[in-house]
Formats: sequence, structure tokens, C-alpha cells
Amino acid sequence: MNEAAATLGPPERLHPIALLSSLAASARGMWGLFAAGGYFAIQGHWFLLLVTFGVYTVASLGSALIRWLKFSFRVGQREVRIDSGLFSRTHRSLPFDRIQDVTIEQNPLWRVLGLARVRFETGSSAGAGEDDGALAAITLQRAGEIRDLVRASRGLAPAATAAEAEAEEVAVFAMDLRRVLLAGVFNFSLAVLGALVGFTQTIGGPLGFDPFDMDFWAGLVAPGTPIGDFVMNNRATLYSAGAFVLLMVGLATGLLRTLLRDYGFRLDRTAIGLRRRRGLFTVTDVVLPGRRTQAAVIASGPVRSHYGWSELKLQSLAKEDGGKGAHVVAPLADDAEIAGVLGAISWQPPAAPQWQRVSLAYVWALAIGLSPLLLIIAGQALLFWYAAALLPNPVSGEIDGRFNTMVIVSGLILFALLATIALRWLAWRRYAYAFDGERLLVRSGWWQRRLKILPMRNIQSVDYLQSFIDRWFGTANLAFGVAGGGLTGHGIRALPSETARQVREQLLSRFR
Amino acid sequence: MLDDSKIEATGLSPVEPGYRHVLRVRALVFWLPLLIAASVADLVLLLATPFYGLPSIVVAFLSATAIFVVPSRRYQRLGYALHPTLLQVVRGWLFHADTIVPLVRVQHIDVTRGPLDKMFGTANLVVHTAGTHNSIVVLPGLAPDRASEIRDEIRRHIRSDFE
Repeated sequence: MNEAAATLGPPERLHPIALLSSLAASARGMWGLFAAGGYFAIQGHWFLLLVTFGVYTVASLGSALIRWLKFSFRVGQREVRIDSGLFSRTHRSLPFDRIQDVTIEQNPLWRVLGLARVRFETGSSAGAGEDDGALAAITLQRAGEIRDLVRASRGLAPAATAAEAEAEEVAVFAMDLRRVLLAGVFNFSLAVLGALVGFTQTIGGPLGFDPFDMDFWAGLVAPGTPIGDFVMNNRATLYSAGAFVLLMVGLATGLLRTLLRDYGFRLDRTAIGLRRRRGLFTVTDVVLPGRRTQAAVIASGPVRSHYGWSELKLQSLAKEDGGKGAHVVAPLADDAEIAGVLGAISWQPPAAPQWQRVSLAYVWALAIGLSPLLLIIAGQALLFWYAAALLPNPVSGEIDGRFNTMVIVSGLILFALLATIALRWLAWRRYAYAFDGERLLVRSGWWQRRLKILPMRNIQSVDYLQSFIDRWFGTANLAFGVAGGGLTGHGIRALPSETARQVREQLLSRFR
Repeated sequence: MLDDSKIEATGLSPVEPGYRHVLRVRALVFWLPLLIAASVADLVLLLATPFYGLPSIVVAFLSATAIFVVPSRRYQRLGYALHPTLLQVVRGWLFHADTIVPLVRVQHIDVTRGPLDKMFGTANLVVHTAGTHNSIVVLPGLAPDRASEIRDEIRRHIRSDFE
């Protein structure tokens, strides 16, 4: 114990400003207090009100102060020790060997004060999404020193001073504002509409305002009312105006989200791996150890790829915050830039691989899987159409409208299902795999184009899967277990079963 | 019906015959409440309708299949092989899965036994890898001794990988 203590540095405290953030956290729990306060105020118990607020303020200030006083961390040559808690003391030891990632975050206030929040991520946090250890506020310089220590202990780089570490960083990829905005255009999203629906469901009801309720509009545009007549006279204009508004909302959402996240995106190569900095208000600074990279994905879409753009993501043992797992190291880049980023972690970009196509069962299996649904919907549409035709005339006039709506809805669903199958066929035309030296390449998707690069040594297990539908076609699917989160579904679909067995043999030959 | 040697023809070892009973009892536990629920629904809700008796018949047919046909089929198709450096687990009737785990990729191993396993003398070997897909590979229906034997064999590989 003494020996271990000797190698640790002196205890250090967080910057007092950390008190603020813990106060903010306790303020979030104050709503009950506000309710009580409001009650006292109405009842006229002003004295009680004062006492309540006074006690609460003193208590939360006091507990924040005690928490701050009892929180200390010590940095040693091989580990970080974090001691916290008054009654239940926690001594957490984070060996450098087990720290997979050191994240330095700065929110706007922290940036003004030159402070940073440091998070250590170890493998065990992978599932829970909890930080294993975090230092809420220390000076940026100290944060950099700690990170350099962690890096140096990896054995790759000698204990470099901060200045030297900065000097040996090589810029790999960066995005200027124009590129960020362009990426935003490709991130077109109508998610905000979904949020609006949720908002009006919860808030709109009491306000008597729900734009997603038919009756709201029916009342507004009923024939005879001024708006109703206007709508009837300018239908075409209004439809196009609506479409235009949707387009603008989608564009604005994409632009805003991308700007907030990717502003000032830059990627540098350091001794240990890639260092990524990005963000408009909250700047994040992440180091991705190159050795921990398990797989890479080059993603694109029909429009993006037409203009030669794609996105590069890495699947790493170190998890991204938010639990998404895959680290975006180039949100929008051309082929040369992607090759540059891959080169920075000593990965080759795919050369000219010999692509092998897969069986058309890739499409048929989906069509068969969807066929019960297709039959039901088609049957339903027919039934409604037939029933409407059968009804005696006076009744049908009343019900006809509703039946017609049902027929139209069924038709739309039918169209969507058929479109899914058509898209699958387009995807099949692109679907292929290839061996590229010690790596497996899988190219898939038409709308969501993916090129997965998986070094064979990173395969943890191989599944040979064959459902009864696959058996009719004589095909099988291969699925690979790969460590690290984010990019699910490593595998090859719809291979002829004999080929599937050969591919599996080839992948496992290194273990024999 | 196929005989028990089906899996051996492919060079794999079958698991304990007792595992068939484990599957059967498990199916019984799952389907019996459904069967009762279907009969009750029939009597209470559908007595006067032309659909009277339909749910009971359908569920009875399904549960008979699940209890009398499916367990032996699944048993016949369940097999494993412990190659020098690989563990292979083959299972599934309608959805066939043939999993291979390189022994050096195993993170840790459990041998588990539920109440049914104890009743019929079987045990499950659970192998954990670092993968996200398929990070847990289960080999059910082993004799407890055989399960520990395989576990020790795999553990030797984990150790040798660290050295």
C-alpha cells in the first residue's frame, strides 16, 4: 500500500468552479421545492417560505462544498486514483493500461476559464454507458499533461512533454465551414416533425391546438369559411408551398445539427492514434488509439457518391460517448482524403479488389419474408373496394368516402412494400465481397452504401446461418463477431452454401 | 423420423439424450398456459360465434407439434466438435446455425445448470467472446463432466494466449 502510495503524486483538487456544476445539478432537483414554495406563498406563510429556501440553499451549498472537499485525485506513473465521498468513501484506481480513451471536453464557460472536463473510459464501461472516472473541472494544461502521461504509458511514445506532443501531431483531415455546411445539406432530416408530433401530443391538447388532428384542419378549411374557399381555389400552389416548407425544415435541421456537432472538425495523427476535435459550443477532443481499431466503414448514398463524397467511421474498442460506438473520423471527405485518414492508422485503402457477387436469393428471401404482409394488405384493399361496390346506393354515399380512404391507405402501404423489394434489388446489384490481402471487404446497400473493411485477425467468431427459406435457395449467411460497438451486422449474406463454407474456412485458417 | 446418428454422420458429437426431455418440458411449460388460455377464450368469448373451437384446435395442434415433434428434431440437429484450436457448435432445425469460435478468442467461460438441467442430468457450456454480435455462444445439453472437461480444455488456451 505504501509502496503504491509512493509512486502516486500528491492529492489534487478540482477547480472550485466544479462547485457550480454540482449546484446546477441540485437545482434541477428543486422543482418539488418550488411547488412547496408556491403553496406557502399562496397561503401567506412567508416565514415558512423563507425558512424552506434558506435551509435548502444552505444544505445544497454545504453538501456541494463537502463533496468538493472530499473529492481528490492523484496521478501516478501507472494509474490515476480518484477518492471521493464523505460517509461512503470510494477509492477508484484506474490503471493506465486499462484506460482506452481519454476525453477532454469543454463547454463554453469552461473555455472562457481555461478549464476542461476529463473523462477516462475503460473497457468495462462499454455496456453501461457510465463513465468509469471523470474529473469535472481541472485546468486545460493539467488535463493535457494527464492525457500525455496515459499516452506515454502505452509504451509507444516516450514520456513526451506537452509541447513535443503538440509538435509531433500531423494534420490528417480538417473541414472548413463550407464543407461542414455541405455535410449538413446531406444530413437532410425530417426528425423535427416527429418531435413536433410528440410535442403537440403532450402540450397541444390542453392548449386546444393540435395541427396533427384531422378535425383541427377540417374546421379551419371547411367550405364556406374564408380560409376554406382560399384553399379550394389555390390547391396546387398550397401543395407545392407545403412541400417547399418540408424541404426547408429538413435542410435547416440537417444544417443546424451538423454545424453544432462538426464545426471546426479536425483530425490529427499523434503518436498513439488519431485525435479528433470538433463542435461549435461544446468542443470535444477524443484520442482514438490506432491499435484498438477493429473495422472501418466507408458510408455514402446515391447523391453523395455521385459527387464523390463519403463518410469514414471506425469501429473501436474505445467507445464513443452516447454509446453509439462507431467513431466518425471524416464526416464528408473525398476518396483521397479517406485514403489519407486510413493511411494515418497504417490501414491501406482498398486497392482494386476482385469483387464476388452473391446469390439473387438476397432479394427473394426478403420478398418471401414480406409476402404474408403483402397478401394481407392486397386482400384488404380488394375487400374494401369490393365491399364499397356491393353496398346499396343510399348507404354507400355516406360510407364510400371512408372506404375510399382505406383503399388509398392500403395502396400506399402496398407501394411502400414493393418499393422496399425494389430497393433490395438495387442493393443486390451492389452487394459484393472480396478478399484484400488479410482483410475482408463487403460492399452493400444502394440507398445506404457501405463498404466495410474488416481485418481477418479481428474476427472473434463465425456463424454459418441458414433458415428454411435459405435452404430452398441453397444459400447461407455468414455473420462475424467483431469486438467494439457501433457497426453491427458484420457478415456476408446470401452466399451459395458451398461458397459460404469455403469462405469460412479461409477466414478461420489463421486459427488452425 | 431420422435416427440419432444424423449428427454423427457430419463428424460432430451429439449431446446427452436427456436434453430432449429438457426441451420437451420447456415447450410444455411454454405451451400449456397458452392452451388453457385458448380454451377459456373459446368458452367465454366465442361460444355463440361460428369461430367456436378454432383457437383451441389451432393452439392444440401447434403445442402438439412443439412438444412431440420439435424437441427431437432440434436434438438431432444439435452437435458440437472441439477441434484443436476451435470450438464448433451446430444447432437449429428451421433456423440452422453453425458457429465456430477460435479458442484463443474466448474471454471467459461459464458452466450453468438450471433446475431442468439438474432433473435430466445436463449442463450448458457458455462461452463469452469480445464480439458484439454473437458474443455469447451456448452449447446446451452436455453431461456435466464433459462440460467441465471442455471448459478446462478451453481455459488452457486462454492462458497460453496470455503468456
